[in-house]
Amino acid sequence: MLSLREVRKTRGEGSQRYSLVIPRLDLAAGRQLALVGPSGCGKSTLLDLLALVLSPEAAQRFDFVVDEGHVDVAGLWRDARQNRLAQLRSRQIGYVLQTGGLLGYLDVRSNIGLPRKLLGMSDDGTVERLAAQLEVAEQLGKKPQALSVGQRQRVSCARALAHNPQLLLADEPTAALDPLNALRVMQLLLGRVRAQGACCVIATHDESLAREAGLHSLRIACVQDKDGGVTATLEDER
Amino acid sequence: MRIALVMSLAWQDYRADARLSACTVLALVAVIAPLLVLFGLKFGLVGSLTERLERDPAVREVIPMGGGRFSAGFIDELARRPDVAFALPRTRQIAATADLSLPTSDQTVNVEMIPTAVGDPLLGDTLPATELDRVLLSQTAAEKLGAKPGDWLDAAFTRQFSGRAQAQRTRLQVTAVLPLEAFGRDAIFASTELLEAVEDYRDGRAVDAFGWPGDAPGANEQRVFPAFRLYARNLDDVEPLRLYFAEQHLLVSTRAQTIAQVKSLSRNLSLVFWVIATLAVVGAVAAVFASALAAVERKRRELSVLRLLGFSTGALLLFVVLQALYSGVLAVVISFVLYGLAERGLNLLFVQVPGEYASHLLIRHYCVALLAALGASALAAALGGWRVARIEASEGIRDV
Repeated sequence: MLSLREVRKTRGEGSQRYSLVIPRLDLAAGRQLALVGPSGCGKSTLLDLLALVLSPEAAQRFDFVVDEGHVDVAGLWRDARQNRLAQLRSRQIGYVLQTGGLLGYLDVRSNIGLPRKLLGMSDDGTVERLAAQLEVAEQLGKKPQALSVGQRQRVSCARALAHNPQLLLADEPTAALDPLNALRVMQLLLGRVRAQGACCVIATHDESLAREAGLHSLRIACVQDKDGGVTATLEDER
Repeated sequence: MRIALVMSLAWQDYRADARLSACTVLALVAVIAPLLVLFGLKFGLVGSLTERLERDPAVREVIPMGGGRFSAGFIDELARRPDVAFALPRTRQIAATADLSLPTSDQTVNVEMIPTAVGDPLLGDTLPATELDRVLLSQTAAEKLGAKPGDWLDAAFTRQFSGRAQAQRTRLQVTAVLPLEAFGRDAIFASTELLEAVEDYRDGRAVDAFGWPGDAPGANEQRVFPAFRLYARNLDDVEPLRLYFAEQHLLVSTRAQTIAQVKSLSRNLSLVFWVIATLAVVGAVAAVFASALAAVERKRRELSVLRLLGFSTGALLLFVVLQALYSGVLAVVISFVLYGLAERGLNLLFVQVPGEYASHLLIRHYCVALLAALGASALAAALGGWRVARIEASEGIRDV
């Protein structure tokens, strides 16, 4: 579904420079990956690239395979076709943000249902079903401020899954939870992903949790360069 | 773009932000409501004054001063001018009087005789007397005589002839009584023929229509009129007519001064209104612009989440513009209510004549106010909100 070759992203200059290099990454339906590595190594940057919200600065190949065929994502960024990228995001991608990213002025039901509404999908009970499976059914009428951190995380998971995306991305979805709850939320999330036949990439600093949840780990390695900057490289799967 | 979805999201965010939204609305009300009151006052006041002038035909009258010598043809030509509503020759004033009495009473009233015809502005809706023995009576004369429409009056026309006082009599029927506003003195409004007959009699000529004996009129003798009754078509026609007569070396008396005063009041009030309106609107546009700019900064995180979820740039811009429009609509509605209260108060305080207004607005004024407020809000918000296009989804989502 996503195919990346020699994709680079650099931020800052000199000793403040940070570069991320992805030599090779292929995502396919059903794959469940964990991005592991120390914090600050660029897990979030990689997720943002995959979520089509951050532009790559160079790419040999950055293709999104959808039903209609290949979409050259790097080309879309080059041509600044923001609305086409937005359309791809709304159809194909669900993103669980580290801090939830819920809209404070909408109640839980509207937050979860928003991606479906944006696509004009009918109200077929998906929102209630997801809320029940992620154990936030009682919170549907509440505003996010009234929820605990764990509940917010699960609502965020429900929102990311509501429109049946092909690709689910999650950034430390369980960081704010105690280990017991963390595993439970992770299992709830992965259960839904499996049921929908989607691919998922979950960034976490907790390798044991990733192992326990049955995720295939991908490591990001950081190297300090001579100029003082940092280059992070994603482990090549082969 | 899902317009209904964006409308609903913008509205829910607007409501959640109630306190700031209320401040924006109040800022707009502070501009719109006083402007409505000011314009209402200008429109009502000037409208009432103009209407008062237009209602009174005397304001449009052009009166020749001193004696003239006018032919019927010259006055006919005047009547055909597009800026003239009505023109009719007058006979000599000294010859245009009559002594009236009811057959049943001894009361005699001496009245002026004024020529009238179809289109006489003094008559309003009343039909003029077109036949020789039909007249309209002024209200004061009718009251003194105790006469009412349909009554027959005895009319006596006196003359000094060869040193002897003589008189001729005829009967005249009253077809209508004119209201006091139309004419304030004792008078009858009669056909030109009757006035010419009386003048002929006083000049010693024979009047065939009444069978009064006298000298036979000369064959080619053209009647000369010393004056005429003339009314301009509109208020604006009075001054050009005055200039026209001045060019003809003809001294006339008009109310051009009064008309000019109202016109200059209207012009000056308009100027004041537009100066204030321009300043106020510039301020309001700047305020909406600033608030849109601030809103984009303040809502950066929420907007970047919407961008992450896949909302287009246009949808995000619409989100910002819609919130400004919500403020605009609320502000306009509140301003209309406040203006309504002010209008009632002002009219209660200042209006003496029913049907006149101190402050007044037409439906189209409300529509223009609404459209102008919404247009300015939307434009200012679009300019201020244009920055949403530059929001990268990745920059705001980290700390939501």
